[in-house]
Amino acid sequence: MTTECKIGVYVCSCGTNIGKMVDCDAVTGYTKNLPGVAVCKSYKYMCSNPGQEMIVKDIQRYGLDRVVVAACSPRMHEPTFRAAISHGGLNPYYLEMANIREQCSWVHDDHQQATDKAKALTCAAVKRVPFHEPFDMQSVPMNSASLVIGGGVAGLTAALELADANQPVYLVEKDGKLGGNLARIDLTSPYLDSAKDLLAERICRVTKNPKITVMLNSEVESISGYVGNFKAQIKSNGEAVTDIEIGSIIVCTGFREFDASKVGEYGYGRFPNVVTSFDLEKMLKEGRVVMKDGKTPKYVTIINCVGSRSGKYNRYCSRVCCMTALKYANGIKSAAPDAFITNLYTDMNAFGKGCEDFYRRSAERDTIFMMFDKHAPPTVSAAGKGEHFNMLVKVNEILSGEEVEIPADMVVLMVGMEAREDSMNVARLVNISRDKDGWFIESHPKLDPVATSTDGVFIAGACASPKDIPDTVAQARATTARILAKICQGEIWVEPVYAEINEDLCSGCRVCNELCPYSAIDYDPVKKRSAIISVMCKSCGGCVAGCPSGAIKARHFTDKQIFEQIEGVLEWASSRA
Amino acid sequence: MAVRANPNLLKQLKRYGADDVTKCFHCGTCSATCPLSQEPFLFPRKSMRYLQMGLGDRLKGNLEPWLCYYCGDCSDQCPREAQPGETMMSMRRWLTAKYDFTGLSMLFYESRTAEVAAIIVVGILSGIGFYLLGALSGGDFGSYPGFIPGHNAEYLTELGWDVKSVVLVMAVFVLGLLGINVLRMWWFTTGSRKDLNVPFDIYMKHILLCPWHFFTQKRYSECDKKKPWVVHIILMLGFVALFAVFLAHMIWQDDTHAHTYLGPLAGVMLVGASSFALSGRLNKTEAHYKYSHHSDMNFLYMCLFVGLTGLAQHIAGRIGCGAFANFMYILHMMGAVPMLLIQLPFTKWAHLVYRPHAMYFAAIQADVIAGREGAKGASAVPHKQSA
Amino acid sequence: MGFEPRIVGFLCNWCSYTGADLAGTSRIKYQPNVSIIRVMCSARIDPTFVLKALSMGADGVVICGCHPVDCHYISGNYKAMRRFPLLKKLLKEFGVEDERVRLEWVSASEGQRFSEVINDMTDKIRALGPSKIRVQLDADKVER
Repeated sequence: MTTECKIGVYVCSCGTNIGKMVDCDAVTGYTKNLPGVAVCKSYKYMCSNPGQEMIVKDIQRYGLDRVVVAACSPRMHEPTFRAAISHGGLNPYYLEMANIREQCSWVHDDHQQATDKAKALTCAAVKRVPFHEPFDMQSVPMNSASLVIGGGVAGLTAALELADANQPVYLVEKDGKLGGNLARIDLTSPYLDSAKDLLAERICRVTKNPKITVMLNSEVESISGYVGNFKAQIKSNGEAVTDIEIGSIIVCTGFREFDASKVGEYGYGRFPNVVTSFDLEKMLKEGRVVMKDGKTPKYVTIINCVGSRSGKYNRYCSRVCCMTALKYANGIKSAAPDAFITNLYTDMNAFGKGCEDFYRRSAERDTIFMMFDKHAPPTVSAAGKGEHFNMLVKVNEILSGEEVEIPADMVVLMVGMEAREDSMNVARLVNISRDKDGWFIESHPKLDPVATSTDGVFIAGACASPKDIPDTVAQARATTARILAKICQGEIWVEPVYAEINEDLCSGCRVCNELCPYSAIDYDPVKKRSAIISVMCKSCGGCVAGCPSGAIKARHFTDKQIFEQIEGVLEWASSRA
Repeated sequence: MAVRANPNLLKQLKRYGADDVTKCFHCGTCSATCPLSQEPFLFPRKSMRYLQMGLGDRLKGNLEPWLCYYCGDCSDQCPREAQPGETMMSMRRWLTAKYDFTGLSMLFYESRTAEVAAIIVVGILSGIGFYLLGALSGGDFGSYPGFIPGHNAEYLTELGWDVKSVVLVMAVFVLGLLGINVLRMWWFTTGSRKDLNVPFDIYMKHILLCPWHFFTQKRYSECDKKKPWVVHIILMLGFVALFAVFLAHMIWQDDTHAHTYLGPLAGVMLVGASSFALSGRLNKTEAHYKYSHHSDMNFLYMCLFVGLTGLAQHIAGRIGCGAFANFMYILHMMGAVPMLLIQLPFTKWAHLVYRPHAMYFAAIQADVIAGREGAKGASAVPHKQSA
Repeated sequence: MGFEPRIVGFLCNWCSYTGADLAGTSRIKYQPNVSIIRVMCSARIDPTFVLKALSMGADGVVICGCHPVDCHYISGNYKAMRRFPLLKKLLKEFGVEDERVRLEWVSASEGQRFSEVINDMTDKIRALGPSKIRVQLDADKVER
């Protein structure tokens, strides 16, 4: 088989990304002489149009039947090159990629060693690719209904968008009412629009829309199936279970706020007039910003980054707190023009549209901004006897280098966003991953921010990372664009990469039946053989390694292919020794 | 040591003209732009910070506002239009008020009415005084013949004891006030600072800086823009010349050379520079003319008034209109006395004392700080050798 | 040049391979001794893969999968975790040192951790010296 193959190998220097560290000419020089290689070229950008055209032309000119691209991670451009060789008349699965960028040029700093490793990886790909088999994509029907988990502004927007396109939506909300975290907020920054106005219209339209089934006090119990054909069980009011069938799932479960009492030095819970942003939000909603004794505060200190950007709690920035703090400064100033408002910050992140102006306006309204080092946060203590205010905030102010004491009647803690406590369960339920902070991971942080590693499951809003309202809404709408595109196609194509059982080798021991987490393996009691239901198989290969008879083959990840790869990476090394 | 933020400082400074300081977000462009800003006095950013945060004590002991001559480059460059130049100016006004122990300075700075009223009252009193002085001493008060009807006075070359004693009382009053205030300034900025602990010889080492900066305004000439310095030094030299004429007249009764040549020249310088500055302020032609506190305007109007009346008196005297000359002389004194009694010790004009002293104190502080750092460096040397 | 270990890494597609890619996009440097082979899940890793690599002269083998509870295939990493001790027992019988074969959990967000695992493993194996099989293979080659 090996000798019959005509392999084209293409080494990409990715501008200087690979070329700077890996000697691409040396890689081509070495690869050219490997058995089966008919043509070997290097080029500046293989993924560019001329790069792809070069492959297409070579397939025809040299009669290539396998292609190896040594470039970036297959997670990046495998689809690109699969499409290219398929354009050249080859089955897309006749492609193998060698990852010489993410796992070579970018992580090493020795030219010789990086070049050697690139040769080894390319050699492995050249040895593997002759054993690739052709597959055709599988088509399955697409259910046009969608499940939206979470009834906050993201969920409401997504549901409306789909329903407006005449597609059925199930909107599941854990709480007894719609609105999510936005419903806890009075005004929004930076334009000081009322959050209630934003929500009321949405909720009204959602509840009236016949295409949307709103399920309050409900939770998703279980989900099975695959893209286009999911089945979900929804448990309402703790008992009633509804079974629904949907084609797509949008997760918009939002965030929870950081627990301010974890930060001892701010005295939350100890001093009655130390409040969190959400406590203040409640006061603002009620229209009265008062201290516990009912008096209007004269001195208000707002502390940013509570639980955020710290080595002790959460390292990330919650993105919305800076502008929310300015919103409070303005809100309190409007209620009490004589109030002395200080805003203690670590960095002022005014990145969004209108935000820099908002920062400026707040400064002009005499909000005093003081900067502190996140490693030396301010402390709150009780004021001495006879003072006309009740707390003293001490801060090492960076921009002046002074240790400053600020009189305070009220201290507002800008608590950051955290992944919800149930995010792990949700992730398990829909089979997506979470990052180290518990946020759901997107398929690609830049190019595919609302899709996930599980086909048909999308994420929107603050469940994926801290986000402001415009970004949340934009994401919600983006998820629906993805779903509607699939619905319009009517059917969806799934990768034909699944496991197969060779009936002749299967002994019917049923070990694999128990191994499959998706119950995709059926046992035929008559034939006394197991068989895989291909659309349900997600190609993990757990059964392949578990089969005592070696009867199961993992498509595109066969033992032979992996053995060849192992030989490839080691052959280069031992041939050198 | 922690310093307490004073929530009211900002409001207070607004009355002195610091309207835009809260816009500052401390990028430091101003300090980077300023050619005068050098270690260990980097301004204006830090002073702006003290002001924003309400650190009044820090601000009170701060010399930096005086080290700025307000060319306006920082205000032009400020990305936030926080007007650092004008803020420094406001701090100088505020500092003048803080140095003054009588509290009158604060009153005059914070209230336009108070300053104008004080000028008018002192002006009228001095008008009456000079008139009576002339009348009581037989119609002669050291100027021109032919003013008071019924008295056929001669042109006198010698000043009377009465005039001299009035001048002496005024001089003692003004110099006493300023002396005490300069001592307060020294205490706030240098004397009270335990971390400095300035040895006496360092005070002596730099003492000539005071007259040097007073007469040359050398530091102003180091600004990138030279025109403001030229205007300022013309105005200042006009005053110096007038003072010389006045002294010559007082002590040596010289009214020939000085009076004939230096007097009119000084008058022209005064009128020219003050009308240039006034027109600049009214038309807001340059960065440093964009914002005017009432103390700035009052001072310039007084300069112009004193200069014009002085010139008119001189010309009238030369062409023989004695009565008109005397009338102008009284008007001239009605301007000059309030300037000396109000503006010199309490408001705008006080900077002629504080600024050179600030340069002097700053040089002392810089010397002490540099000496201390030099000592640190010296201690590092044997360490290196041992290693 | 002294002894440079050759290590074969089997990485699951969803967590560890992505984590290794993240080390790349974050430009986190690590030693170039590991060559990575991608599999869909750590459960796919047949013990014979490890044996094959060792028999071909690898000085070490590292298997990386998702952290427990985080497997893209629900429980694949548990399968790998259960198979691993059996494999280790077998390798011990063959005289393969314990440090040469490792099972590590690296999530998609742990580029830093991936580089630490590789550096640590490379250092330890470098200290341990070449595998007996590799020494034998090299000797055979010289003979030929």
